[in-house]
Amino acid sequence: MASIVAYIDVREGMVTAPTRFLLAEARRVADFAGATVYALLALGPLDHSKIDELAEQVSAGGADRVLCSTHERLAGPPLDATHGGILGQVAEHLRPVLFLFPAGGVGVELGPSLAVRTGAAYVPNAHLELRSERSDVAPASQRVVLTRWRAAGDGRRRIDVGDLERPVVAVLASGRVSRPRGQPSPEVETIPCPEPRFPELRLLEFEALPDSAVEECSALVCTAVPADAAALASLKSALPAGAALLTTPSQDVAALQAARPSHVFLLSPGENTIALPPPVPGGSVSLVDFAEGAKGTARAPEDALFALADALGRARARREGGA
Amino acid sequence: MNALVCLESVRPSRASRCALRLACELGEGARLVVLSAGGSVHSESLDLARRCAAVTRVVHLDDPSLEVADYFTLGMVLAEAARRLDASLVLTGESSDEEGQGLVPAALAHHLRAPLVSQVQAVRTSALCPDSVEVTLRAGGRLCRLFSPLPLVASVPASGTAARLAAERHPCGLEVLTLEQLGIDPSRLVFRPDLLGGFVPGPPAPFRHTTFDEAADLLLRRDP
Repeated sequence: MASIVAYIDVREGMVTAPTRFLLAEARRVADFAGATVYALLALGPLDHSKIDELAEQVSAGGADRVLCSTHERLAGPPLDATHGGILGQVAEHLRPVLFLFPAGGVGVELGPSLAVRTGAAYVPNAHLELRSERSDVAPASQRVVLTRWRAAGDGRRRIDVGDLERPVVAVLASGRVSRPRGQPSPEVETIPCPEPRFPELRLLEFEALPDSAVEECSALVCTAVPADAAALASLKSALPAGAALLTTPSQDVAALQAARPSHVFLLSPGENTIALPPPVPGGSVSLVDFAEGAKGTARAPEDALFALADALGRARARREGGA
Repeated sequence: MNALVCLESVRPSRASRCALRLACELGEGARLVVLSAGGSVHSESLDLARRCAAVTRVVHLDDPSLEVADYFTLGMVLAEAARRLDASLVLTGESSDEEGQGLVPAALAHHLRAPLVSQVQAVRTSALCPDSVEVTLRAGGRLCRLFSPLPLVASVPASGTAARLAAERHPCGLEVLTLEQLGIDPSRLVFRPDLLGGFVPGPPAPFRHTTFDEAADLLLRRDP
């Protein structure tokens, strides 16, 4: 049976939201086309109870089997120099048709080198489509198609996984998980950590990024409105899980480069004041009517942030009233 | 230390401009060489490099086969050029503004047998030992500072400050290298199959205008 490998991005001991979406997508493909989903955990030393906890999470998320490698060498950030060896080892052993990375920066770091070493096609910022094609002669064929926008924005690239005679390494955009698709009964296989490819490269220090939530979001509200702390706090507290707020998109391009939100909401007096994240096939970009939001209370532009927070409150009340 | 910046053949991408800016900030300890492979000698990339005050050499790799080279072959050619130019630190843009795959830096590092670090925010020569650098990059939700001996390939993403480059000057001279000078026989290059996939023309969907209440409904609809 064909194999799909899903790289599991763990931050602060938790499986990231884009990874949960990745697992759900891998499960969807596996159920459609018939494949086994392997979740790959490559982490620093952990006790068994924590490994079991993570394995249950990824198993419930959609993985059939969990491959786990823990070693001091894997404790740092996911770099090709430290993590590339384990990826190559798994790719060589399983020969997966799909090697998937979640949004959030890890795919950009590890994906291209893995694709080069394994001779795979590489699809960044990808969207998965499943198609059944009827045929009168043969059984209906199941097509797994990956699409992405070219950076120039002039069109999409489409790769039909079945048409290639080689594997595909893809970085998926982040989206919403409607419901867990797997069973929380993990089958965990421990795999050895190979020697690092470049042992002299080492981590000196690190600090948490204040905008790391942007990397992991599935919906992003971007605003270039100069706002005070009260307005920002009001909107941040009103946003649902999986949504992030980016207040200085023209400067925070680094966070946007790693982010792959499916849905972007622009809250700005003009369309051109914001550097957008790369568009995602199947996603959407909404321009929130700034003038309509600001005119109600129109003391200052930042009132638009309060207006969206109020609208979220009203929408929640409607949903709870209707439930 | 010789630092090499690779620019696209026609015009530099936003990410490549950022790579050049980081290289310019390396200071006097680094001799900065800019390389562009393929295309015309009158390209925007070469013009930018020749006017950049921190750049000591500008090299154009001239061969028509580079116009159609796949990423793997281009990476191999760039790696050979890096060896020829005795470059130990190679800086590139993370991806082009056209296709935007970001595979050339990985292919270059593969052929140079050097580590590749991505999402690089800053590079400086290391005080810990010669022929090494300290690299600041985003990884795993953190801003990390790494020590790396050379050689190293560092790919730099586009950022909002891409256009701000170091002081300009009158254009410096241009050196031209051929594949033969790198020990590569162009007639024996075998390009890999195109793995980009089919092309479906058409721009991304335009903005959808929403009211505040509609935006709130859409956001909550995505709330599990």
